[in-house]
Amino acid sequence: MKQGPYSRFLVQRLVFLFVGNLLLLLAIRLLLRAGGSFADVLKRCGPDVAPVILAGLGMTGIIFTGAIDLSIGSVIVVAGTVFGILVQSGFGPPVCFGASLIASWSLSMLNGLLVRSLKIPAIIITLAGLTFYRGAALILAEISIPNFGGNISIPDEAFHSPGKLYAGRILFVALAAALLWEAFAKTPRRWLALGSSEEACRLLGLAPGRILQSAFFASGIFLGLAALIFVTRVQYIEPARLALSFELQVIGAVVLGGTNIFGGEGSFAGTALGAFFLYFTSQVLTYAEVNPYFQEAVTGAIIIGVIGLDCALHRRRKLLEELA
Amino acid sequence: MEIAFFTMISGTSFQSAGEFSNYFKSYFGDLLAQSAPVLLLAFGMTLVLMTAGIDLSVGSQVALVACVMASFRSGPTFWWTAVPLGLVFALVIGLVNGVLIARLDIPPIIATLGTMIFYRGLCFVVMGDLEKSPFIDVPGYEWFGKFLGATLVVGVVFVLGALFFQYSRWRREVLMLGGNRVAARYAGIPVTRRLCEVYALMGLLAFFAALCFTARNSSVSASSLTGLELQVIVAVVLGGTRVQGGGGSLVGTFFGVVIIAVMDEGLRGAAVWGDQHLPFKISHLQYLLLGALLVTGVWLNTRMERPAK
Repeated sequence: MKQGPYSRFLVQRLVFLFVGNLLLLLAIRLLLRAGGSFADVLKRCGPDVAPVILAGLGMTGIIFTGAIDLSIGSVIVVAGTVFGILVQSGFGPPVCFGASLIASWSLSMLNGLLVRSLKIPAIIITLAGLTFYRGAALILAEISIPNFGGNISIPDEAFHSPGKLYAGRILFVALAAALLWEAFAKTPRRWLALGSSEEACRLLGLAPGRILQSAFFASGIFLGLAALIFVTRVQYIEPARLALSFELQVIGAVVLGGTNIFGGEGSFAGTALGAFFLYFTSQVLTYAEVNPYFQEAVTGAIIIGVIGLDCALHRRRKLLEELA
Repeated sequence: MEIAFFTMISGTSFQSAGEFSNYFKSYFGDLLAQSAPVLLLAFGMTLVLMTAGIDLSVGSQVALVACVMASFRSGPTFWWTAVPLGLVFALVIGLVNGVLIARLDIPPIIATLGTMIFYRGLCFVVMGDLEKSPFIDVPGYEWFGKFLGATLVVGVVFVLGALFFQYSRWRREVLMLGGNRVAARYAGIPVTRRLCEVYALMGLLAFFAALCFTARNSSVSASSLTGLELQVIVAVVLGGTRVQGGGGSLVGTFFGVVIIAVMDEGLRGAAVWGDQHLPFKISHLQYLLLGALLVTGVWLNTRMERPAK
């Protein structure tokens, strides 16, 4: 029945977000004071949203399968702590970058393995991971750094290149690759299939466990890139505070992008647009000189508002389906 | 067993049985007063999990109610301005969750994730960077933070709740809609209304939790109580409530909270020992233990269920 890869609902959402983003950009342009340059705003937005979009691409894949990963913020903290420890022990930039990539990838794989083998809902496993990994990062830092005072300083600029110089480029390449992959490869379709019906997958001869693991595998790679950018953008790595409630931003972007939180429907493009939408909204608030204390409330209200509207519009159809 | 273990760690030694019983009394009195907010919220969370929902916004709810109450003037007038308004406000924010989930049909986890951010944002709107403590000068207020007050509040909630629960049709309706929502609708259960009631009750309990919390800690800021929802959920799950809905027990929840409180207290007691002997802060172990307990609890729950099927 459906024409093309996206349902009518998804296309509507993508158009809404696209137009919304343009309107928000227009608002920023109008709010700019003399002296502020619009080109700067555009130049900055890529690197600023890069971590959210990259982590969001991985999260989208996981949510496609009907699972979720709440632990990404803490995974980034572990990656950052490993990075900081290696920098302090005098390793060169490539080793440190590689180690933080591997750290986040392997934790993501661990999440996948646990969900598969313990047969516990992913939300519970990763909720546990959310606290566990952060605690592990803190303890790791305290054990390996003498006189650890709560943060690890990274003064050398050589360690900041991925976050400060190449973030936009990394984002562009990863996003292009993800979109092409979604358009032409089989794996994302398998994730969607698993999210639609695990039973149907099994009957078709697909291995649900392996498909789930592949989603966590891919997510690990994207999350590794996100972590790399995240930890190299800051001067201090503070395990207790770094990336706090990052997972909420990311899930907010994914859900705003039209991906069904229960799996089976969604798109990478929507996630990217959703992330930009949240970012531009916060920028509009900043340029409109709204009290910064309102920002968190407004972000929450937007997530609830957009999703609530959407769910309400679909409610009748859902109830009818339920009773059919 | 845990108590014995952590008491050992904290290095307390007892000369006589009397001393031990005194220690035991003060230990548990403190423990109960300390964990009263978690106990109250866990009661509500058990119901929420029974409906196959989840409420991630409880920490923000309690903080928001406390913040709103803290913005009133202190003194005897506090009792008939801040307290009733806080109560109404708590019911409203609970009901907002309920309406979002039941009327608009947003998945509970998404809705409460959104309201978790939203309510926390409102905390900052109300409080800014300040830390307020009007609670100290309210006559009789600190009673809620003491052993007796906290026990009474918790006791009344649990006993009334348990009695009501045991004999009411409401409980069976809630359990049924958690087990199978479609079947519940076919059976003529007002699903939307029951869900709203459960989440509004959560708001009410958040109000009582805010009372106990502010009476004990006497000051509140916009970022208090972050991460409380995790403790509550872990406690409920440890008590044997299914995360998939349709089953659960209040007695189990009570013991779940006690386990977590004892663990907390034990870690705090062992802090001095840990500082001398361990290369890391022992309080950070709490994160690891909470995570491990959550996974173990859910795993055991599913393990125990499987043969029955």
